[in-house]
Amino acid sequence: MAKINSRDLRLFNRNVFPLIPFVVLFFLCLVLMATDYRKQILKKIKKEAFVISSPITYLINLPVKIFRDSKDNFITKKILQEKIINLEQTNYELSIKAQENKLLASENKLLRNSLKIYKDFNMLGVHAEIILPTVKNGHSVITINRGLKNNIEAGSAVINNRGLVGQIINISKSYSEIRPITSESYAVPAIIDNGKENVILFGNGNGELEIPLFPASSSIKINDNFVTSGTDNLYPKGIYIGRVTEIKTTNSPKFNSIIVTPFSQPTTFSQITVLDIKK
Amino acid sequence: MIKKTTLERRKERYLFVVLFIILIFLSNLGTPWIEESNMMPNYFIALIISCILNKNSFLNLYKLLIIGLIVDLFVGQLLGQYGLIFINIYLAYFICHKILIIKAAIQLLALNIFLTVYSFLILWATSLSYGLVIPFNLLLIQFILTIIASLIFTVLMKRFTKN
Repeated sequence: MAKINSRDLRLFNRNVFPLIPFVVLFFLCLVLMATDYRKQILKKIKKEAFVISSPITYLINLPVKIFRDSKDNFITKKILQEKIINLEQTNYELSIKAQENKLLASENKLLRNSLKIYKDFNMLGVHAEIILPTVKNGHSVITINRGLKNNIEAGSAVINNRGLVGQIINISKSYSEIRPITSESYAVPAIIDNGKENVILFGNGNGELEIPLFPASSSIKINDNFVTSGTDNLYPKGIYIGRVTEIKTTNSPKFNSIIVTPFSQPTTFSQITVLDIKK
Repeated sequence: MIKKTTLERRKERYLFVVLFIILIFLSNLGTPWIEESNMMPNYFIALIISCILNKNSFLNLYKLLIIGLIVDLFVGQLLGQYGLIFINIYLAYFICHKILIIKAAIQLLALNIFLTVYSFLILWATSLSYGLVIPFNLLLIQFILTIIASLIFTVLMKRFTKN
């Protein structure tokens, strides 16, 4: 049971405040903080004590870490399983399309034989990986990890699974630079995938291609796809380039400006193929 | 004035030491549901405020300073920071009791809140983070959690030290 006595509780005594000790300790704290700030004493102590404190901190956090890792493990497993199912579905659809393509290729061969149209599509390609899409002297440039020692030639066309990427402009021993199709100094002969409207597409430097002056009376419309026409003997015929996204009017009512968004953008892929066309 | 018995003082001391050790562990523990470290309550401030409100007899200015220096070794940014905070908490408590009569539970809660705000202000004033860019929501959550921790400690102390 509590008894009445003021001696032991003099610091909680409402009548007397220990002013002098408080002031001394207050300034002592300030001096300690200033000294520590200058000499980094606490940092040094914590550094020395790290050898002891880090295993203890690790053990304290181990249950939480196990809980988090198990949770991540189950979530990741679920995501991966969903991804596997989606990939299997895509693989199945692609294998069906591949069968259709085989049929089309054999029909194409028969027709070419009967019409006596001979063209060698024997394309060999070197697979490469993009190291760096960058800008050099105001022009966008893509650097890849293949060069002279991989038999890459200047001027070769570069494609990926989405379509045309660009053209090789500089080669060193182990690296090459590609000018992307959206670069200002780039042009490629193209055709709409229905076989009509032969055009030349120019890069506009803004991530798009354009046809500056196109007859307004033409049948071109939004979402039409452009492919390479093969008329320059550089790019094989039929490689996807892009899709019409805008038809702008010009000063002349007889012409429109067509904007084409490419199917492949340099920042969205890393694998490409450099073509070596045998003529 | 009330004097506490030897048994009560001993219980207070033991409880304080046990809570202090537990809080050292808790302050190093990353709780799974609190991703932001700024939301963690300041356990040591909560403990000292609840000890002072509970009129723990073994505490004095010098012990508060030493406890502050020990806390600095674990969670402080500067040596002397928490010592300064703790002795200022005592000062604020003394002044409040000098000016006001605080008896009811709601008054004690208000005093608790005031002491917590005051100690946070000193903590931020002496912080090495010059840019106080912590969002207000996080500060509020930290403040509320500290008060809740302080109330929990007060209840624990009253429960374990009464005869």
